[in-house]
Amino acid sequence: MTFRMDPRAKLYLLLLANLMLLFHVGTGAEAAATALCLLLFFLSGKARAGVRLSVLYFGLLAVDLFVVPRVGESVLLNLLSLVSVGVRMMLPCIITGAYAFSTTTVGELTAALRRMHLPESIIIPCAVVVRFFPTVGEDYRHIRAAMALRGIAAGRGALLRHPVQSLEYILMPLLMNSNNVAQDLSAAALTKGIGLPGRHTCMTELRLTAWDFLYPALCTLPLLWKVVTLL
Amino acid sequence: MIEAENASFTYQSAPSPALQDVTLTVQPGECVVLCGRSGCGKTTFTHLLNGLSPEFYPGTLTGRCTAAGLAAGEAAIEAYVPQVGSVFQNPKTQYFNVDTTAELAFPCENAGMEPQAIRRRVDEVVEQFRLGPLMDRSVFKLSGGEKQRVAFAAACMLGPRLLVLDEPTSNLDAAAIAQLHDMIAVMKRQGVTVVLAEHRLAWITDLADRYFFFAAGRLAAQWSAAEFAALPADTLAGYGLRARTLDDCRAGIRAKQSARCPGTPVLTLEGVTLGCDKKHPLRTLPDMSFAAGEIVGLMGRNGIGKSTMARTLCGLLEPVSGKICRNGRPANASERLRSSFLVMQDVNYQLFSDSVREEVLLGAAHPERCDAVLQALGLDGLADRHPMSLSGGQKQRVVVAAAMLSDKPLILLDEPTSGLDLGSMQQVGQLLQEWKAQGKTLLVITHDEELAANWCDRVIRWDDTEGV
Amino acid sequence: MNQKFNKLTVPDLISVGVFTALYFVLVTVATFACALLPGVGNILLPAVAALISGSVYMLLAAKLQKFGGITIMGLVMGLFFFVSGHFVLSFAANIICGVAADLVAAAGKYRSKKLLLASYVVFSYGLTGPILPLWFMKSAYIANLTARGKDAAYIDTLFAPINSGSFVVSILAILICALVGGFFGQKMLKKHFEKAGIVA
Repeated sequence: MTFRMDPRAKLYLLLLANLMLLFHVGTGAEAAATALCLLLFFLSGKARAGVRLSVLYFGLLAVDLFVVPRVGESVLLNLLSLVSVGVRMMLPCIITGAYAFSTTTVGELTAALRRMHLPESIIIPCAVVVRFFPTVGEDYRHIRAAMALRGIAAGRGALLRHPVQSLEYILMPLLMNSNNVAQDLSAAALTKGIGLPGRHTCMTELRLTAWDFLYPALCTLPLLWKVVTLL
Repeated sequence: MIEAENASFTYQSAPSPALQDVTLTVQPGECVVLCGRSGCGKTTFTHLLNGLSPEFYPGTLTGRCTAAGLAAGEAAIEAYVPQVGSVFQNPKTQYFNVDTTAELAFPCENAGMEPQAIRRRVDEVVEQFRLGPLMDRSVFKLSGGEKQRVAFAAACMLGPRLLVLDEPTSNLDAAAIAQLHDMIAVMKRQGVTVVLAEHRLAWITDLADRYFFFAAGRLAAQWSAAEFAALPADTLAGYGLRARTLDDCRAGIRAKQSARCPGTPVLTLEGVTLGCDKKHPLRTLPDMSFAAGEIVGLMGRNGIGKSTMARTLCGLLEPVSGKICRNGRPANASERLRSSFLVMQDVNYQLFSDSVREEVLLGAAHPERCDAVLQALGLDGLADRHPMSLSGGQKQRVVVAAAMLSDKPLILLDEPTSGLDLGSMQQVGQLLQEWKAQGKTLLVITHDEELAANWCDRVIRWDDTEGV
Repeated sequence: MNQKFNKLTVPDLISVGVFTALYFVLVTVATFACALLPGVGNILLPAVAALISGSVYMLLAAKLQKFGGITIMGLVMGLFFFVSGHFVLSFAANIICGVAADLVAAAGKYRSKKLLLASYVVFSYGLTGPILPLWFMKSAYIANLTARGKDAAYIDTLFAPINSGSFVVSILAILICALVGGFFGQKMLKKHFEKAGIVA
């Protein structure tokens, strides 16, 4: 049995990660909260992603703690260490985002948005965005194949040599096709009642469990502790 | 169930009506087939039945057309929702959700059903159509046939009294069509009225009660099932309708399966394993060879790897292992890419320019032949039009013209006749013959048994059991 | 909120979703392109994205021709930025720029080429959200260095060019790139979509 967190709790975690970045909670508190977020990957059966992100985060942390102080006066090295520290500071947000993204189904997301009383005029585009992402990638591959067959912008670096022309050749079919998909999708969704007035329900039921409160609270502790020590 | 009285419909900004003076009645529980050439008005008529016209596809309606007691032009699309279920032609674009179970739940959610009731209804429908193995899957991992089955089930979720199907089989193989046939049979047994607009007629003969034949927007004839079965075959062909039975075609295909490569091979495959990457080999092909001046049909179920094979042969993909030779010499991907052309199933991806002339000249090896080729394909009057403003068949011919001007020796066509009527299918066939006469090697991936039997020189059929 | 958007139909909303997805993908492409230039790359991200996404924006505006679509696009962009772990301020930046861009385009009844171009420039500033943390991080980094006993004057000289210069460069780059990208988008719209009869 893997642990499933309520989407609303995930949103809170995202907010928390952002607050930590905004208020410079300090390296210790940040690392503690991030470790808790990384733990979520392992609890949710996403061990591989968890290991990867942990290595990245703690690797950069080690660079910050042990390499950066010895950097010296070289401008280039300082710039590089700025980048490494910068990436590390952004990582808590990205880690929480990756967790939220990879463990939330569209059904859960829609259910959460409906629970939060967002209007359908926002929920519908959100659902379409998720539905349409894979199509964009697929379309792009088809278009590149078609270009290769015609000998347009084939080979390495061709895209960079004729950027404007290539952009047109890629975007035009992509936009045309997207326009068609929007049309067909609308027709199909209309016949399935997307425009029905009244409350739309969700098959996915969200239930907040004790963990949905306890775990985020636990993650808040480092930030709280920091705030308390500041006072 | 359906009553149309002098119904005429003209699309917004169209010069002439798409539907003219149609009067017909369909009784509850009947299964009727709308047939006729592409652009004859049958799809327009389905839009009057499910409420999409004139609200979503705008235009002017005169006369009356009611379906399940709802009058087109008066009732909102929403009023149709619980009464009329719709399945559309393209399996890729009628999904609103990313996973199959959510897609089934979608109509119920919109109707505001309670979560428990939705789950019960989903289980019921899944049970009824035996869709268990397809549940909780990503829509993007399903084959075309599987997608259409789930789409059909989704149309049945709210217990409609009328089902409107618009060319649901145009992308499907024979097995998938048979499964869809059985689903329609289930609904018909329950007394649901079924309206099916379709080019392929053979699969539905045992379920159809009546046939309505449309020509140029008018209802030109109607037949009972018995009358239809009694029509002479050449009358049917004269109407531009596809065959009623595929037994002859299937026998023809079987005969063509035993044919061998007729001459000196120009393209040979030796121990080729297909796959997108080394870790996931898709399937190993037996050795095969192709000669110049032959048309080879490639058949097999949806999702078996025919398109991957086409991509591999024309150099868009390297095989995981094995050797592909041109004229006896191993040819790598970029070499194959230079010597082959693929006419894709969805030709929309292959149109880049803002006029037909520029489009066919793009990458052309023989620009001087442009006018002749355009004329041969009946495109000469359209040379200045934007390719995207043309009909599906015309767009396909534009890509074919580009393929001809590229003058590459190997041409692959992926489902060139999906959704085409008899006339257009024969046009494609004749085109293949002309190409063949020029000494090209033509490989046609198709589910269309009529095309394979009548226009291909030999057929390679894939099965799950025997590799190829 | 419902009141404000009531003129948008369901097909409109689906179009917004489809084109927002495309826009998001192009921004992601720009992100990867910029990642090839470490350090400076991130600062140029909004500009590169603005350069390539003009046609998506212009097509959506031409298709809908009513208020609300661009606003929702900004809102949904912000939401997806936030959920995918971008900085929370990007959420706010997208919404504010979305509404402002919609108002500018509405002032020209979604027909005026100049105002649509201006609207696109405004919308493109919504993308500054993801790079805002750079400035926050810089101060954190400086604090970090100071804590480790580096000389404050040295730190100042090190970061002087990044401080004011990069900000101005980034803002100017967005302006120029959005103008060029938007112009290219309008050209594509006329060349392809109007000729094919897809938009009037």
